[in-house]
Amino acid sequence: MRKHLATFVSIFVLLVGTVMAADGDVEYGEYLSSECVSCHLLSGEEHGIPSIIGMDEASFLALMQSYRNKERENPTMQTIAGALDEEQLSALANYFSTLSSE
Amino acid sequence: MTKLSRRQFTTLLGGAAAGALAAPYLAFGANPKVVVIGGGAGGATAARYLAKDSKGAINVTLVEPNKRYYTCFFSNLYLGGLRDYASIGHSYERLAIEHGINVVHDWAINVDGDRKTVSLGSGASLSYDKLVLSPGIDMKYDSVPGYSVEAQNRMPHGWKSGTQVQLIKAQVEAMPTGGTFVMVPPPNPYRCPPGPYERISMIAHVLSQKNPTAKIIVLDPKPKFSKQALFMEGWEEYYPGMVEWIDPGVHGGILNVNPDTLEIETDLDTFEADAVSVIPAQKAGAIAMAAGVTEGDWAPIIPASMQSKADEDIYVLGDASVASSMPKSGFSANSQAKVAANHIRGALTGSRVFDARFANTCWSLIAPDNGVKVGARYSAGAEKIDVVDKFISATGETADLRKSTFEESEGWYKAITADMFS
Repeated sequence: MRKHLATFVSIFVLLVGTVMAADGDVEYGEYLSSECVSCHLLSGEEHGIPSIIGMDEASFLALMQSYRNKERENPTMQTIAGALDEEQLSALANYFSTLSSE
Repeated sequence: MTKLSRRQFTTLLGGAAAGALAAPYLAFGANPKVVVIGGGAGGATAARYLAKDSKGAINVTLVEPNKRYYTCFFSNLYLGGLRDYASIGHSYERLAIEHGINVVHDWAINVDGDRKTVSLGSGASLSYDKLVLSPGIDMKYDSVPGYSVEAQNRMPHGWKSGTQVQLIKAQVEAMPTGGTFVMVPPPNPYRCPPGPYERISMIAHVLSQKNPTAKIIVLDPKPKFSKQALFMEGWEEYYPGMVEWIDPGVHGGILNVNPDTLEIETDLDTFEADAVSVIPAQKAGAIAMAAGVTEGDWAPIIPASMQSKADEDIYVLGDASVASSMPKSGFSANSQAKVAANHIRGALTGSRVFDARFANTCWSLIAPDNGVKVGARYSAGAEKIDVVDKFISATGETADLRKSTFEESEGWYKAITADMFS
């Protein structure tokens, strides 16, 4: 499953990630991210929930797409990803890529 | 904090004339003031986001009587012996030192919406441009015949964390061999819908280790409850024969509770207990009533902003508000706080205001390493907060999935408490 996912992510990054320009609205991304940081620690630590701090945009978008397609299984993330449109995903991807772990 | 010279300020105003029109407070030069009442998941989050995101452009005061905040969420894990009490306690230190929030440890006792002032128990008073009310709940003690604030020492509700929860733990552990614990859960709507049943699970866990012939009887005023199939399945699996949940159609209603004899009288029978938890019906914290923003027991809000329907300069967050379809949970309050903070900052400083987004997830622990969850995403409708999409754990899930759901809840605890207090 994990390997499968890794393959999927890299193909997705190749096909789509490079097309998505780094033009997401960072201020909007910061607002939207306030929802993410209720669970994902801003410090970048991982405790039962993976870190998304400093993730590059293409990987972020690919992951969110895999939750939207329900290829990844966590229902919380499927629900969250399903409620974000392209503009919002792009804003979030850009914002998280600007952060670094403590 | 950056101070602007008069000239810089004028230039700024000229450059942002449209913004200044939308944000009249800019024209006075002094920082606008926000008072936040209640330092829990709603209030602490709102205060922190207002201070952090306005970068000193808004003076934020947080009024909270407790110097240390013990979370209601995860208090059941303390009851179950899976966390120590200190681990659910949090300090307001960083809100004061890192974010410059004026943390006032006092009770807010009245709000004058016309003069925009809050009076405090000490006799001092605070003025505000915008007020955030996040006072949580108060108990309707007389909703259970025989129950009262005096009775809560013998029959603790433990529904605001703190010493009441410590008392439940002590009373459960002092039960005689083969003794009986009785819980009377609250009627809807109440704080933390799955909470009473997670409490039952954690008490059953403790008893199964220390007092395995003990019994737990739940005299519920509701014919059904949150995550019912999941809890029922778990009780059968982990605590077979220990937990008896009795439908109100069977017990016929609570006629009386007696704190001296620990007897609970119903139509069906009089139950004799060795330890009892009575969780009465609830209402918005008293200050919401005093502020005149409630209708009945709770405060109606405008879904897009969390503003009170009665006063547009007052925002009501969390359990005290009528935020249906969102449940009364810490997660909900934290989510609502960010919507309100963004809206308030826009009104006071002309910053961008984005569409309201709401989410909730409630994790519950059935047994060690066996976590389940229910959650939803919401959007602001005209009259209420509408469900967009929802999910719930399934019965019969694998042990691995339940363990990772529990670990996820621990990660959430770390993150939400950082989001409130760091």
